[in-house]
Amino acid sequence: MVKSSKNFRLISVIGSILKWFFLIFLFVYALFPLIWLTISSLKTNAEFMASPFSLPETWQWGNYVKALTVSGIARMMFNSVVISVAATLLNVLITSMSAYAVSRFEFKGNNLLQMMFSAGVLVPLNALMVPYFILITRLKLDNTMLGLILVYTAIGIPISTFITTGFMRSIPRELEESAVIDGANFYVRFKSVILPLSRTGIVTAGTFQFLTCWNEFVYANLLTSSPEVRTVQLGIRYFTNQFSTDYVSMYAAIVISIVPSIIAYMLFQNQIISGLTSGAVKG
Amino acid sequence: MKTTKQDKVGIALFLLPGVALFLAFFIFPVIYVAGVSLTEWTGFTKASFVGIDNYIKIFKDPVFTRSIINNIVWALVAGFIQVPIAALVAILLSFKPKGWKMFRTVYFFPQVISGIALATLWAAIFNAEYGLLNGILELVGLSGLTRNWLGTLESAFPSVLLYWVLYIGYFMVIIFADVQGISEEYYEAAEIDGASRFMQSLYITLPLAKGSIVTCMTLAMINGIRQFEQVYMLTNGGPGNRTSVMVLYLYKEMQAFSYGTSSAAAVVLIFVGSLIILGLNKTLGKETH
Repeated sequence: MVKSSKNFRLISVIGSILKWFFLIFLFVYALFPLIWLTISSLKTNAEFMASPFSLPETWQWGNYVKALTVSGIARMMFNSVVISVAATLLNVLITSMSAYAVSRFEFKGNNLLQMMFSAGVLVPLNALMVPYFILITRLKLDNTMLGLILVYTAIGIPISTFITTGFMRSIPRELEESAVIDGANFYVRFKSVILPLSRTGIVTAGTFQFLTCWNEFVYANLLTSSPEVRTVQLGIRYFTNQFSTDYVSMYAAIVISIVPSIIAYMLFQNQIISGLTSGAVKG
Repeated sequence: MKTTKQDKVGIALFLLPGVALFLAFFIFPVIYVAGVSLTEWTGFTKASFVGIDNYIKIFKDPVFTRSIINNIVWALVAGFIQVPIAALVAILLSFKPKGWKMFRTVYFFPQVISGIALATLWAAIFNAEYGLLNGILELVGLSGLTRNWLGTLESAFPSVLLYWVLYIGYFMVIIFADVQGISEEYYEAAEIDGASRFMQSLYITLPLAKGSIVTCMTLAMINGIRQFEQVYMLTNGGPGNRTSVMVLYLYKEMQAFSYGTSSAAAVVLIFVGSLIILGLNKTLGKETH
């Protein structure tokens, strides 16, 4: 009896050690490469080549100045901000409108519509390069920011509708009914009852949408060609040519390109996590 | 609440932009790509109908068959290795060990960074001359294992394939929420029966979190077959087309103005994706949407 409880304790100690080893390993795996990249971006090229693990002798902030001047990243950041913000605003406006219709009213084809929107999440959009290219060129929107705004607004529709519908469905009927009694019509109820009450859901959808737009590469690559409309993600592809062997400045440019994502994550972490949990599971 | 006539007009107006964009960017492209796949078309000239010639052509192309195989391997690794790891971590964190919130935050962190930035970062890690990976191997006395990771036939695909497997944050968060939602009563009953935590996880948590796990497997496997950025950035399909994937293939065909074969590859991709979704839902239950 004594022996078996000793064994049991041994097993649980080993289990605990394994558990912590595993959790910490994944922690380091997620973080260390980024820290390494950031530290490398503050070294000289010679230091970087000679000793990849050391801290920089003196912190080379000049790499960041070089990154900004050589890569033209400021312009790309501006383009990315314009495109991402516009596509996010349009997307949440359009999807909160459709979410209002499908979540608060019964009509023929409602279920079918909701199923259709959800199924959109699973469509492998990367495979649709030929049709997207033809569509955007025919609309004469190739190589324009407007073209990308349109594409990005559209590709986020399934996930945003999904998240927003879930939130709107949970608003009690009574609130809307009392607004009807007060004489509020369809549009007034949307604007002054439903929209304010589903703000959390809309912010969640918007956060996802912004990150999707900011990080999108495939269609930026396919649908634009001139530097004037180039987004940050597209810029990263050209860094290897622009900086050639100036690795440290290139890393500085990559760090700069990541910063907005990190800021968005820091600010909206709770929204992101609650969006994933409410949206994806309870479909 | 009754739907009035005014409501009906409002519903139609409010649905219009969303549905129109959905039709234009989700439904129409799928039909269109299927149509183009039956033609020979450079994008400039008039398309001519060629039946299933494009499909015969791409299936005879070893680069395409290699791409399909790579994508299937990728999907299997994503569904059956990445997601189980995510489920394991979700269960471990559900016991709320010290610092679980910080772990969750950090695990999710790589998911907010773009695929192209991560790929560039990993290009630096795999680099033969100054890369982090070779540096670590030398540091721990395993310099015999150092190599040109992305340039060698044997190591190129595993390198491109495997670095993201441990980025589990997205799926972990989804499964974690499902695990959190399981009623305490089940565990209390099991506790009385003397079941260990391990047994509880195996017989209570896993079956009850099945819905979210199957959802994650579906999403992960779809990710696996639509990969592009990583391969494009790290190897562009090389060495010797060893790391090619379907999207890269259809992209290259398109750049070569062979819209027909490019579209045929897209149809095959969509078909494989549908098979995965149907297969998973048939075998593992229908709790997913």
